Amino acid sequence: MSYAHEIEEALKDGFLRRTLDKFAVEYRAGRDRVFAEVDERALIQRIADVKDDAARRMEELYEKFRVEAEKRGAVVHRAKDAAEAREIIAAIAKENDVHKIVKSKSMTAEEIGLNAHIEAAGIEVNETDLGEWIVQLRHERPSHMVMPAIHLSRGQVADEFEKATGRAQDHEDVHKLVKTARAELRPKFLAADMGISGANFLIAETGSLAIVTNEGNGRLVNTLPRVHVALAGLDKLIPTLDDALSALQVLPRNATGQRLTSYVTFIDGATACAKSPTGRKILHIVLLDNGRADLARDPLFSQIYRCVRCGACANVCPVFRLVGGHRMGHVYVGAIGLVLTYLYHDRAAAKKLCQNCVGCGACKDVCSGGIDLPRLIQEIRARFAKEDGEPVASRLARYAMRKRPTFHRLLKFMRFAQKPFAGKDGFVRHLPMALFGKQGFKSLPALAKKSFRELWETRDSWLAARDSSPRATNQKHLTVKIALFAGCALDFSLPHQLVAAMKVFAHFGVEVEFPMEQTCCGLPLVTLGEKETALDVARQNIAAFVGEYDAIVTLCASCASHLRHWYKDTLGAEAEAFSAKVIDFSSFVHDMLGLTEKDFTRLDWKVAYHASCHLCRALGVKEAPRALISAAAHYTPTPEEESCCGFGGSWSFKFPEISKELMHKKLDNACSGDATHLALDCPGCTIQLRGGADREKRKIQVVHVAEVLAASLEAGGAK
Amino acid sequence: MEKTATDLFIARAEAAAAQVHAVPDEAAAAKEVEAIRAEKGADGGAHGERALPSGVGVVRAAKGIAQTGTCIVVTDDEALRLETMLPEVSVILLNSADILPDLPSAAPFLRAEQTQGRASYVSFITGPSRTADIERVSAIGVHGPLELHIVLIGGRP
Repeated sequence: MSYAHEIEEALKDGFLRRTLDKFAVEYRAGRDRVFAEVDERALIQRIADVKDDAARRMEELYEKFRVEAEKRGAVVHRAKDAAEAREIIAAIAKENDVHKIVKSKSMTAEEIGLNAHIEAAGIEVNETDLGEWIVQLRHERPSHMVMPAIHLSRGQVADEFEKATGRAQDHEDVHKLVKTARAELRPKFLAADMGISGANFLIAETGSLAIVTNEGNGRLVNTLPRVHVALAGLDKLIPTLDDALSALQVLPRNATGQRLTSYVTFIDGATACAKSPTGRKILHIVLLDNGRADLARDPLFSQIYRCVRCGACANVCPVFRLVGGHRMGHVYVGAIGLVLTYLYHDRAAAKKLCQNCVGCGACKDVCSGGIDLPRLIQEIRARFAKEDGEPVASRLARYAMRKRPTFHRLLKFMRFAQKPFAGKDGFVRHLPMALFGKQGFKSLPALAKKSFRELWETRDSWLAARDSSPRATNQKHLTVKIALFAGCALDFSLPHQLVAAMKVFAHFGVEVEFPMEQTCCGLPLVTLGEKETALDVARQNIAAFVGEYDAIVTLCASCASHLRHWYKDTLGAEAEAFSAKVIDFSSFVHDMLGLTEKDFTRLDWKVAYHASCHLCRALGVKEAPRALISAAAHYTPTPEEESCCGFGGSWSFKFPEISKELMHKKLDNACSGDATHLALDCPGCTIQLRGGADREKRKIQVVHVAEVLAASLEAGGAK
Repeated sequence: MEKTATDLFIARAEAAAAQVHAVPDEAAAAKEVEAIRAEKGADGGAHGERALPSGVGVVRAAKGIAQTGTCIVVTDDEALRLETMLPEVSVILLNSADILPDLPSAAPFLRAEQTQGRASYVSFITGPSRTADIERVSAIGVHGPLELHIVLIGGRP
């Protein structure tokens, strides 16, 4: 089955959709509740610092861990790859005459494909984590790191249990199914010769293992059998007990919304064991390298060592929510799963999976270690693009965008070419279906008759109309001089939003310049893997904006975050002064101009708000737009304001089915109250949601925050 | 009113589905344990499933953690460890004077346990065993105890 087809099938799975939808909302609420009690950002930073340090000192920590663990009676092995790890464990089983194994959850065991290998040697292996046992019975792989069987209904589980036990099972009562697992697995714990577990932390200072579980199976696995094998990646090494305890304040909160799991077990060496011939537990700790040591030295990718396998990146991923872990992961699931698949497991699988990321940044925002997952995924895409040679789109983009006049001439030509299809209201609805394909779920924006840069020449006439109206008495006169960065989508497709912003600026006496040499911010080029051309356009923009400006203001959240972060991160000192001045429209008006409700006339609009990914996460702007909406109209909160609208630039063209579902959900939420308008700060989201609202005939108007403010001033002027 | 560590411990342990029995002293604790044994019965009372080892397991915690409602039990001894795992009802005695504020404050205790020149096994126990692996329905009592009773000594007057 092709990947696109797999995704279509997943989207049709009603049970999966309902389960993951409910989970996404409840997870957020639970997480927020338990993080309110601690300093979330400080704890995440601590994990990042500790684990970055651990990655740098990996060999030293390994040696310390080995010495301390062996001092206490454990045997420590180091496996260079999956095959060696499997061999080591099989050999341990053989030398101890093991026939039956019980296993608690270990993602590392999934990584090395352990079960199949051991079973091939004629040894019985039973998973004991409930979810793992269920997927083992079904011969599937886990669809989530923490909840392996989240894709299955209770009925499906009951069917499996009937097959496994030969007895009828209750198909409704989950608690009874759990009791079946207890009764069925208890004899297996008692009969096992060997237990295999993972480990959450390997604490170097004392050579101890920390194992985090809820069901109690983990403790039985490492207590009842005479042999215990703990398998973990080298990335689980952590210097001290303090580091582990500190990280434990984040891991369960982020994984399941618990303050702590039912059990955290600290095993430090081989304790007494009645079943063992020596009277001591036979304890083997297998540390898996499998590429980790090399990766620890990678300047960009070493940050994946911060991962504590909490699964939060999947829990908040809008794509996971729609298609589930089997299509948004390989061994490991979610954003980290895409990266690990690329690094450790299966490049071919990674290649299609990595296209899946919409780049909303939700995972980065909740990651226990603050890993910049979207950036890593973008880098992987760029590497694949490079390996493949350039696709036509990249070549075209590079040709068209390297020189601004060429690019802008091209856009003007497209405006001419779209004429037969464009409606009067700025939508293209009537492209032949052959061209539309699966994009038909939204009306596409037409290029405007006149771009903003053309309108700029005649600004005196359209601003004068506003100036002739009586000015409000409370009008501020500010001595602020800004340069306006338009961005392609606003300049050529949505210039009316820039016109609205200009009216706001004029009203408050802000002096505005519009440097004509400005061009595309370069973000779409980066997405295509065209880094060199992206650098070219960045330098063009920096040169265009040399001047005495207090701020460089843009109405596009995506441009703003790219100009602020990517420019500075990539060009360093060359971009520093430029990047520091870049600010989004709402923050400029709210924070820099300090405008409040006194400065506006309240419209009777009921305005829902969509927090664009690039604004609320990439730039961390949350309060300003909501405060401005409240000042100029009636802000109407709606569910999941910060979830992605499904645009993601060219991504929506690659995954139209997923994009459509995200958009649809967004519009459902926005329309769930009595909002008349949906305001936002990003032309990409505008294209997606305005087009979707038009196509779905929704009674909500999609507007930029600037348009709300301009309308309010207009209403005030008319009084 | 500021919450004491004991109050917070009780609230958080109960939030994790543990049942807290606050008693004034050791004598009262012993009585409370007997009462739990009597109620649940040696065979696990109402929860009895004859195929499974059942009953009431009783152990003593070395420390508690207020922020998470956790009992820290030193379980180096295998038989004692199984007391906290196999029976359906688990009882943990905890002295309120041993309650620490949060997880990081347990580091010195844990380090002392792990640097005595012998192997050790320390269990942090927070509520009964649980799962949400089937349709995310929260179910209490999987492979470990179905009930956790904490007898908190000197907890409340």
